Formats: sequence, C-alpha cells, structure tokens
Amino acid sequence: MKTDRRSFLKLGALATAAELFPLTLGLQAKDNSLTNFASTRLDYTKAKATPTICFGCTNHCSVIGWIQNGIVRKFEGNPLDPNTQGNLCSKAQGMISYTYYPERILYPLKRAGKRGEGKWQRISWDEAYEMIASRLKRLRANGTPEEFVFHYGRDKTKGMTKHFTNAFGTPHRLNRRSICSSNRRAPLMSFYGRDFEWETQDLENTKYVINWGANPYEAYQGGLFMAHRLQKSIVENDAKMVTFEVRPSATANKSQEFFTVMPGTDGAVAGAMIHTILKEGLEDKEFWNRWANYPLEKLTEDVKDYTPEWAEAESGVPAADIRRIAIEFAKAAPACCTMSNRGSAKHYNGMQADRLIRTLDVLVGNVGKPGGYCLSSLRGWSGHYGQEGLPQLKMPEPKAPSPKPWGIGEGFNETAFKKLPQEVQDRVNAFPDKWRKKYFGELATPSEYPLSWHWYSMRVGQLVYPYINEGRQKIDTYLSFTLGASFGYPEAKVAREVLLDEEKVPFHVAIDIGYGEQTALADLILPEATSLERWDYHSTNCYGLIPYTGLRQPLQKPMGESKPITEILRTLAHKIGDGMEKHYTYQDDESLYKDWYKNLPISWEEFKRRGIWQDETRLKDYELYERLLTEAELTGATIPTEEGALVLGGQGKTTGKPIGIIKDGKPVRGFPTPNRIINVFDPIFPEAAKAVGLPLSDGNASPKPVYHKVPEHVDLPENRFIFSTFKWNVHTQGRSGHWKYAAEIIHTNPAFMHPDTGKKLGFKEGDEIEISVYRPTGHTYRAGEKGVMGSFKNHVRFLKGMHEKVVMCSHHVGHFEHGIVGKSDDKESSPVEGKDPSLTDKDIKDGVWWSKKKGGIGGGVHINDALPINPAPLIGGQNWYDNVCSVEKV
Amino acid sequence: MELLPWEKIGPQYKKSYERAGMLVDLDRCIGCHSCSVSCKTENDVPLGNFRMRVRYLEQPDNNQISFTPLICMHCVDAPCLKACPSKAIKKKEDGRIWIDESRCDLEKECVQACPYGAISINVEKDVAEKCDFCQHRTDNGLDPACVDNCPTDALVFGDLADPESRISQLAKKRQAKPWKEEAGTNPSVLYVSHAKWMEEKANTGVQLDVKDEDITYEQNNLK
Repeated sequence: MKTDRRSFLKLGALATAAELFPLTLGLQAKDNSLTNFASTRLDYTKAKATPTICFGCTNHCSVIGWIQNGIVRKFEGNPLDPNTQGNLCSKAQGMISYTYYPERILYPLKRAGKRGEGKWQRISWDEAYEMIASRLKRLRANGTPEEFVFHYGRDKTKGMTKHFTNAFGTPHRLNRRSICSSNRRAPLMSFYGRDFEWETQDLENTKYVINWGANPYEAYQGGLFMAHRLQKSIVENDAKMVTFEVRPSATANKSQEFFTVMPGTDGAVAGAMIHTILKEGLEDKEFWNRWANYPLEKLTEDVKDYTPEWAEAESGVPAADIRRIAIEFAKAAPACCTMSNRGSAKHYNGMQADRLIRTLDVLVGNVGKPGGYCLSSLRGWSGHYGQEGLPQLKMPEPKAPSPKPWGIGEGFNETAFKKLPQEVQDRVNAFPDKWRKKYFGELATPSEYPLSWHWYSMRVGQLVYPYINEGRQKIDTYLSFTLGASFGYPEAKVAREVLLDEEKVPFHVAIDIGYGEQTALADLILPEATSLERWDYHSTNCYGLIPYTGLRQPLQKPMGESKPITEILRTLAHKIGDGMEKHYTYQDDESLYKDWYKNLPISWEEFKRRGIWQDETRLKDYELYERLLTEAELTGATIPTEEGALVLGGQGKTTGKPIGIIKDGKPVRGFPTPNRIINVFDPIFPEAAKAVGLPLSDGNASPKPVYHKVPEHVDLPENRFIFSTFKWNVHTQGRSGHWKYAAEIIHTNPAFMHPDTGKKLGFKEGDEIEISVYRPTGHTYRAGEKGVMGSFKNHVRFLKGMHEKVVMCSHHVGHFEHGIVGKSDDKESSPVEGKDPSLTDKDIKDGVWWSKKKGGIGGGVHINDALPINPAPLIGGQNWYDNVCSVEKV
Repeated sequence: MELLPWEKIGPQYKKSYERAGMLVDLDRCIGCHSCSVSCKTENDVPLGNFRMRVRYLEQPDNNQISFTPLICMHCVDAPCLKACPSKAIKKKEDGRIWIDESRCDLEKECVQACPYGAISINVEKDVAEKCDFCQHRTDNGLDPACVDNCPTDALVFGDLADPESRISQLAKKRQAKPWKEEAGTNPSVLYVSHAKWMEEKANTGVQLDVKDEDITYEQNNLK
C-alpha cells in the first residue's frame, strides 16, 4: 500500500514548466516561462492588497486579499475590522479554492437530457435570460407571480434578492433559517425584541461564561469574533468557561470545565441554576424588578422543583457541580454571561431551553453590562435600536413594494389565498389581525408554525419540498440560489425526489458557482461570480460593541461568463419589463453600492481602501436601555405621567410605535420590545399553540420558561442512542467539501462514540456499523411513524469526550457531486460544457490522495437522507439533535 | 496620508533578528488549522505535504483533546543540516534553517535525520521542503504566515536573543520549553504548556479518523 501511494505521488509529479505554476489560468494574465517559476512565490513588494469581506462562513470577516499577476493568492486579516481585530481563520483561504476550482461552472448550461441525467449544453446568456424571462412574464400576465419561488442558501446581498422578488410580486423568497437557528432566535426576540435576534456578549471583559452547546471556536455566527476575545480573557485575565456538550468540540476542549450532557436536557441544567441562584439569594433583585416583566416570587415558585438533584437525574451533570457553577456564575456578575446555540436549541424543547438559559442573565443582572450579556443591534444602519446617531445607510431607491398578504378582505391577495387547502384557509382566517397581515402562503409563512414569521421571516426550509409534494402550493419556476438542499437538508432525498418531478417543479433554475447536488437537478444553471468577484454591503453586530460597516468588493473580474447575482437579477428585471425595470435605475453594481454608502463620512475611494468604517468615538453599547431619550426623539411623543408606562410617538408617532419607558420619572430607551422591558414571560407561546391546535400541555406552549422532555427520549431503551451531527472548524456546512485544503484535513466523518459505548456494543475502532434512525414522536411532521426512517453505514471512532448515549458524525462530507475534490475522486466529473479547460490546478489534476481510487479512505458518508424532517412546534426549527437511532455491526 | 497596516510592507520594514524564533502557546491554540492552511496557501505546499500541521491529541486522563501545531524547529544544532550530503540545507544569519532547492539532490537524508518529522518531499518539484519562517514575508517586515494568520495569538515570532523582545518575555513568563528537549538540537521554536505525553502521541498517526492512513506521515518519516 505504501509503495503504491508513494508511486502515485511520484506519477503525479509534473514535468513541464507551465504546469509548475500554482494555478494556470487561461482566463487571466499568465506567464509560463520557467524563469518566472522561482518568482511565483508571493512577492509582497509586487502584489496588490485589497480589503474585502470573507464569504467562508456566516461571520463575514474583513480580510485583505493579495493579488499577484491577476490572481488572488492569499488572505490576511484586516486589522481595521473591529470584530476580527485583524484575525481570520482557514476558511478565508477557501475562497481561493472555490474561485479557481477547475470544476467551477463558468458558462450558462441548459439541460440536454432528462432532468438529473447530467447531460448539458452550453448556451448564451441571452438564451438563458430568455428561457427564464418568458416564463416569468407569463406568470405576471396570468396574475400568478407567486408561482415563482426564489429559494436561497446563503444570501448576503442585504436586500437585493428581496428587492427582486418584491418587484416581481412573489412572497416566495425562501431561506433555511429553520435548518440553522430559529429555535434560538425566537427566545431572544421574545425577551429583547426584534432588533436582537443575536446577542453580543462582552467577551473581552468577561470573567465567567457558561456555554450550552455553542461552539464559537469552530463554527458559529460570530465565532471567530468570540474565540479570540475569549481566549485572551481566559489566558490573560483568568476568565473561566464552562461547557455543556455532547462531544469534545474545540470550544469544549478549551473550556476550563467540560461536562457531557444528555442531549435535550440543557434546559434542566439551566433551570436548576436558576433554582440555586434564587435559593442562595444571589439574584440581582434591583435589575430584575426594574426590567423583567415577571415577578421574582413567581419565578421562584416556577423553579422550586428544578433542584440540582433533579437536573442531575435528567442530564447526568452532577448536582454538586450544577450548584457550584451557578454560584460561581452569579458571584461573577455582572462580568459573566451565558452562551448557547444548537446544542441547547436544536431540540423539541430547544426554544424553552434557551428561554431558561436567557433567564439566567436577567436574573444576575449582567444584561448590557461590561463583561456581561450585551446586545448590539445588527440590523443595518437605519436608525434601529442602538444605532441612533449613525449615518443612514439605506439601499438606494426606488424601493419595490412588498406583495400583499394572503387572505380575505381589502388589501389581501384573495386569489392566491383561495387556492390553498381549505384547512389552511380556515386556520389563517381564525388568526388574529397581526398574523393575518403577515401571512403569505404555506411556503413563506407556514400556518402551522406562526412563530417562524411572527417576529420576522424565519422560513421553515425543510418543509418546502414536502409542501410542494403535497400540493399545498402550486409552483411553476423554482430558483435555487447558492442552495444545497439536495445534500444538506434533513431527508435530503425528499428534496431530490421533488426536484426530479417535472409536474411538481416544472422549471428549475439554479444560480451557483459550482456543480453541486442541487444544480445537478436543474433545467438551467447560471454561473455566479464568487465572493472575490462582486460587491456587497456588510454590517453585523459588533463584539467590540461599537457598530461598524464593511464592504465586499471585487478583487478580480468575474471569470468566464459568470456574473454577480445582482447583475443577473437586474438584467432579468429589464428582460421581464412590465414595470419591473422601474425598480432598477442604477447603472452598474459599483454605482449602486457607492450610492448606498453615500452618507458615510469618508469618501467612497477611502472606504474601498480601508474596507471598514467605524465611528470609534462612540460609546460602547453598554446599558443602552438606561440611556435617556433625546429631545429630538421625544418631540411629539405622548409622555404618560405614570411611572413605567410607555412613551409613544416621537419617531414612531405615526405608527404609535413605543420608543421608550419612564423609569424613575425619566424617559429612557428600555428594550425594543412592545412594552420596552424584558419579556421573561410571554403569552405569545400559548397564543400560537391555541391558533394551531397544539395542546397547551406541550411545553412549547408555555408562557413561562419551562423544561419539558423531548418526547421520543422518554424511557429511551438501553439499545437506542441519540444520533447527532456537528461541524468541523475547517468546513462550512455542505459548502466546503470541494475546498482542497479543507478537504485534505477533514474528508471523512466517522461515527464518534464513547469507548464504553463501543465496548458494550461489541465494536472495535474502525468497525463498519449501520446507523438506523427513527422518526420523532412529538407534535411534528410525520411523527410517530414506526420503523426505520433511514440508515447509513460508517465506521467507528472512539473518543472519551463523547456522551455515552450519543453517536455522532459530521455532516460536511460524503458529496456525490462537487467534482474531483468534493467526491474525493481521481478525475473531474462536472459537465465539461460549463468549465474552462485552461483553468487547472496541479494539486488536484489527478485526484486527491485520500481518494478510494488511489487507495485512500475516500470522502466520507452522506448522512442527511437518513435524518427525518423534524420541525419544532410553533417555530419550525429543525430538531437536528433529537434523532433516536440504533446501531449494529455490519 | 497615513499608511494602513497592509501598506507598510516592504524591505524598508524588515526587522533584524539575531536568533529568529517562534513561541507556540498551547493554552491559546484552538486547533483551527488556520496556520497550516495559511502556510499551504502562502507557500503553495502540495496536497500530501505540510510544513505546519495541527495535531489533535486525546488527553490521557481527561475527556478533552489538546491541540498542537508542529513545525520545523529551526534547531541551533540542526541534524538535517549535518545530514544533507549535498549541502542544500543551510543556516541564515538569524539562525533559520532553509533548503536551497537548487542544490537539493533528493537524498532524503534530512527527512530521516529530523527528530520532528518536519521535512517532507515535494514530489512536484522533486525537492525536500520545510518551513523557512516565510523568508519572503519576514524580508518585507511581515511575520510568518502562520503567525499572522493565527486567530488566537497562539504563535509569536521574534528574536530569542533579545531579552526585551515580546517572544523572549513571553517565553520567560510562560516557561516555554522545546518540544522533545532530549533530542538535544536546541530548537528555536518553544512551546508553552506542552506535556511529555503529547510528544509521544503526536506522531503515532491517528488523529481524527482511525482508518485514515495519513500519507503525510509517511512523507515526513513519522510512521
């Protein structure tokens, strides 16, 4: 074996000078002379530096790209970025991998055989545009624009795709928020208001962090921003992090204490901590009484049975540790904070678990305090909460109007509504007005999951395909944009089946940079420019607690005939005409973004040079809720005389929007909730439950934060385990399987389990096993169906840090498309018609060393077909980590 | 006009070192592989080779995993330098060890001689290759790529001969020690918080997947 692979490497050695270049690009400047070989090493005296925004994951770090001979060679961090403070991770270099991937799709392709058959014909952009525009024109002419469905995986255009769907007139701009984070966003918005769908802990100054299943050291929205701050606090300031996890994640490994916890019991641990803090009298009464909407006495009563001993029985975490950690946490207040993410939230009870966790911060009064659980608004720059006084940055006019909500009555789209199943119509008709005005059909706003669109649109992505399959919504043209549903969604095979059904999906156009599992099922593929070839407006919440903005700008021209999504949509709008073109008055992308940023106090050229703008003189976003409303804000406001009542009017005068609250006789901002205080108690949960017929006995219906068991975990038999998934640090969802350096490090996804679990089952490391997954039993999609839902084979890897009831595989790998690296192959497999043969990469020309065809281990196992669609009640977040499974040796 | 950090790069910014060295703080390392991927991108290191690699090591008495980046140690008494029959391995004035590719005859003696498995054969160029502390970067005032691209400040580059330098101060304060000190090569790369068991475990092969017979171990004479 050894000799074989050595000789493979030998044979792989390239002889000609031209091929010695790291990248040979027929499309760019190239220089094939041997003398230049020595100088192909990046020369910083010759290369040009341009700042842009990374697209490697959801963090969106500002990075400096170094360009030499027209090729982007390297990324470094941008020290001006207040979130990264100049840091970056391996995924930034991945942008180079995917931009110069030899199997990148560079030309429009039309299907030449049956759908999914893999036969393609290269066509011109004109023909491609005509194919789409003719269909879309017909939909508008027929008065059925909703039959156009735009479904994206990652859209960072900050509104440009919505602009298109609005201008067209369809509410169907779908996303995958449910796949990711809706269970954890809902509690945040319930507590703190719509502006705070994500928190911004002050990790630079914290002394104590309790982490429930968040993994910012590997993969997390804001992860990199958090990781370097936390590591500094831990190493230099003796801060402490305690992690509850089911596996040794990088964050767990770097925590000062790491406890394995039974999946779905994080809420019990948090509940017992609330119990302990109250029992010890360590709560911040003053803060709670001032800002929480729920009496402490009631909370004390609610958690009286949540003893640490009870939590130990639920979770396996020792009671003494729960008690000790709760006390340590409270004593560190206000320089302490919680963290949580999918580990706590991606469960049937995840929304309530996160409400319990969020309660801890309010209880110890660390909210908005130095070192505490801070909130820094991430919503654009339009004077949203906490961003007052910043230059207004708004997408240039003309704005396209939103489609009408679906329903009966004046101002509603009755035609589309009446096509819905009667049962759905009846449910929606019974909704209160606040929801009827937000209802846009079952794909965009599934009526059984009203909390997924109560605060804002968090689509229930995993139900899109079953709903199309059931005929809940007739569609004509389905557009996948950077979407990997056919690979990465739960029960991904359902997505593939539906996409292969030409009656259910008459026309499928995919816009993407590469040939993946989703694009393979299209009728038309449009090649998208990569993140290194386009513009984007960028803003996100800042862990330095001072708002900032950054610019994505092109480092090179789009290769081949690829085009930025903004250009594709603009051209389509003009081709469709019929008034759509009126919403696209800008000349080119740069002029659009220049206009967008026209109010920045620095010039456009200077902004492009720096890549980042921040007003460093601003106060940090500490205790925003205590800040006095300004005279200007109070102009025209109705100021009630009673303490604690709402201040109405001011900037929200016309809508009667609450803008603050009277505290100690003074008008302060409060929180951006309707009542301007923190809603620990929220009647929205039972209200939603009643509206959809969820029994009020279900924990999800509780107005107060509660722990309730995951239904299918009750009395879990000895021989059943929980199958869970996770993300590696070098990868990003299902998007990075073809990035050569990421794939070289992680290309397999063995089944991790505790050695004792393996021994009990008679497994040795490396044994091939079969994992069979069952459907859930709670109030959810296809619940209670008996028998194995799906299964797959993989091999065993032991890790002492695993929970003994958990079997776990990562979900990035096991691609069956995405070319030579994605498939761990020895030859290219994407349609030749879409590629440019002059784009080659010596590293992967003859396959990758881990390819099975080269005697290697291969590229892992695709697991997502075997994981059931399992939306949490009311909110619809996918309960990824509830799966009950059995395991057997093959 | 005030220059931005990335505009202050060039020979005029070059720093001089009497003894170039690196400090690796394992308390800070989060195992993210930014260093190794950055190194490969920067130096166009082929698939199958690593100049810098990150090891995941299960702790013997705990449920956690330790991370450690491993790299050429730029030894003062470098065995590779002595072992190379064609004198292709050389030492710079600042102590860094580099391979003169034009002289490398691929005798592979260096690969055998290195106690750290830091040298591998680049079959594309038919030469031995290893870390040179990114000479092309340090010549222009930058730190090596792995150092500049580490998100948690776990890697520090500087002058070990200057007691006032940040690296020397940190090495003293944090009691940094060489990896495999008993190899007696006097490395210029020092580690904070590393333990004996790590040295034994780092080269045994199994990292993340027990079935992955990592070709890169063969390459570096680690198996």
